[in-house]
Amino acid sequence: MSERLEMQIDGADLDKDDPVLEVSGLKKSFGGLVATDDASLQVERATITGMIGPNGAGKSTLFNLISGFYEADEGSVTVNGTEVTGKEPHEIAREGLVRTFQTPRKLEGMTVREAMMVGPQHQTGESVLPLWLSPSSVAEEERRNLERAEELLELFEIDHLATEMATEVSGGQLKLIEMARAILSEPDVLLLDEPVAGVNPTLAKNLAGFIRELNEERDLTFLIIEHDMGFIMELADPIIVLDQGRVLMEADPETVRNDQRVIDAYLGGAE
Amino acid sequence: MSAAATLPVVGALNSTERNVLIGLAVFFGLLFVSMLAGVIQPRYLFFLLSLAGMYVLLTMGLNVQWGYAGLINFSVAAFWGIGAYCAALVTASNSPLGLELHPVFGLVAAVVVSALVAVLIGIPTLRLREDYLAIATLGLAEVVRLLILNEEQWTNGSAGVSGIPRLFEGLPFDSVIRNFYVVLGLIVVVYLFLRRVHQSPWGRVLRTIRADEDLAEALGKDTYAFKMQAFVLGSVIMAAAGVFYVHLNLYLGPDDLEPIQTFYVWIAVILGGTGSNRGAMIGGLTVVAILEGTRFLNTAVIPAGVDVAPLRLLFVGLLIILVIRYREEGLLPPQHELVAGGVADEKGGGPDE
Ligand SMILES: Nc1ncnc2c1ncn2[C@@H]1O[C@H](COP(=O)(O)OP(=O)(O)O)[C@@H](O)[C@H]1O
Ligand SMILES: [Mg+2]
Repeated sequence: MSERLEMQIDGADLDKDDPVLEVSGLKKSFGGLVATDDASLQVERATITGMIGPNGAGKSTLFNLISGFYEADEGSVTVNGTEVTGKEPHEIAREGLVRTFQTPRKLEGMTVREAMMVGPQHQTGESVLPLWLSPSSVAEEERRNLERAEELLELFEIDHLATEMATEVSGGQLKLIEMARAILSEPDVLLLDEPVAGVNPTLAKNLAGFIRELNEERDLTFLIIEHDMGFIMELADPIIVLDQGRVLMEADPETVRNDQRVIDAYLGGAE
Repeated sequence: MSAAATLPVVGALNSTERNVLIGLAVFFGLLFVSMLAGVIQPRYLFFLLSLAGMYVLLTMGLNVQWGYAGLINFSVAAFWGIGAYCAALVTASNSPLGLELHPVFGLVAAVVVSALVAVLIGIPTLRLREDYLAIATLGLAEVVRLLILNEEQWTNGSAGVSGIPRLFEGLPFDSVIRNFYVVLGLIVVVYLFLRRVHQSPWGRVLRTIRADEDLAEALGKDTYAFKMQAFVLGSVIMAAAGVFYVHLNLYLGPDDLEPIQTFYVWIAVILGGTGSNRGAMIGGLTVVAILEGTRFLNTAVIPAGVDVAPLRLLFVGLLIILVIRYREEGLLPPQHELVAGGVADEKGGGPDE
């Protein structure tokens, strides 16, 4: 858990048992198409929550609404007890909610470790003045961040890529880098949009391991969209099912797997 | 074994850097020989070098905006002109303002006004997609030119401003030499400043924004604030180039704000290597060499009656094609990981070209 959150918990009305993310009555239409329809959900602290649903169910749209990339027509989003509805994505990230993208973003002109070092938030050297007034403390922070970046690359078993150009690595590796970088930003809740799409099975298995490890050791909360049923059913609990922009159900993997409505939704989506 | 093995400094360079260095040496060698041979007057040579220095400043300014942050500014000439007019109007003897202040105040006025204009243009556009800034700056370039042309009571209109003082009047050197040192000093200061701010977490965030703004936002970076800083910084450097120009040329008119100047500076940035400070310097120098070289070819090489100057654009166009064909990344593309305090270098690795 991040320092910031602990401070908030010490000093304020925030409770460790409060959900880290609360979404209520979110609505979003694109022209006539209702992509998100009165979606409400809660993500409890230190869980790995899964989100499934057929193609076009509105999962990515919901992520975009939560993280501030889309503006909701109605409804509200609360992160760590702070309402963030209508805030800019970077403000929401600073509240402790960080997301990755379904299509991994390429960072042109950057090495992998350089791209990683964008992760940490509130870096002293991100302001121009400290670069002149206290260059040594900036360098010190850089050294720390570089070390952390390399540790994570090592954990994800991609440390051999550290000095490669970020545009030269494979799509699956890019997914790993993206997740590792998001972790460097020390979020309280991490939203992953299809983290193993395009990642080879061995790597995907490792990734599940990392997620579990981070969840157990650092109490990091995950909300994960995933198409790979084997992956998500084994990893996540609870699982939220989305269909046609609505939250169809939320339950443990076993219940979800056997629910007739879920089966119907997927069969309907497959037609 | 080449000379590189015996010269440790040259040995530490990579092949691109070596080639550029050799090119520079040949270029300046030729200039020197031409001067000795009487083809170029020494005074004129120093004037040209000062002019080249001014282009280098402009190129570094645009590189901050486009090269670091991916901001499309089509009013380089306008920001240059704002700086130039501020300096001219505050210091000149025939300025309608009648202030006749020391050039330092011209510089201060230029910095303040250009920063202010940059902020005013940035506020409505930098939150939007990048094309909005491009469109707004296209408009700004024309607005600034028309304002200067028509607000005669403030700017002298088409008559222009003259009676501009020279820099460092008291010093014993000739004014052309003084100008040369002034611009050299400006370049060194701006370069050292930019190198530190670029190779830092600040520069790294800008590089991220350029590559993918959404990603930077998702990681908690206030992209609007970063873009604003880059835009203002670049614009102020352009204005400083304008300030230098008026004290070099001693006359300023609205015709000096030709939109084509903006185009030349863009070429210089792309040619030098988008995002690279050193590339910006090489690019600026190369473009001036072509622009002024055509003038020089006229008198020196081509027989009377043939005018090469109108072919300038052709030469520039040819150059663009060659660069795109053979060196897409420019002459000296950025080579550094943007990590502050040499921390990445301590660890070694990184791209070597
Ligand atoms: N920016 C957008 N503009 C128009 N339609 C969109 C936009 N984003 C998503 N949609 C539509 O919303 C629906 C849900 O899409 P999405 O959230 O990407 O689904 P999922 O991630 O569950 O596969 C789809 O029909 C999609 O076409
Ligand atoms: Mg999706």
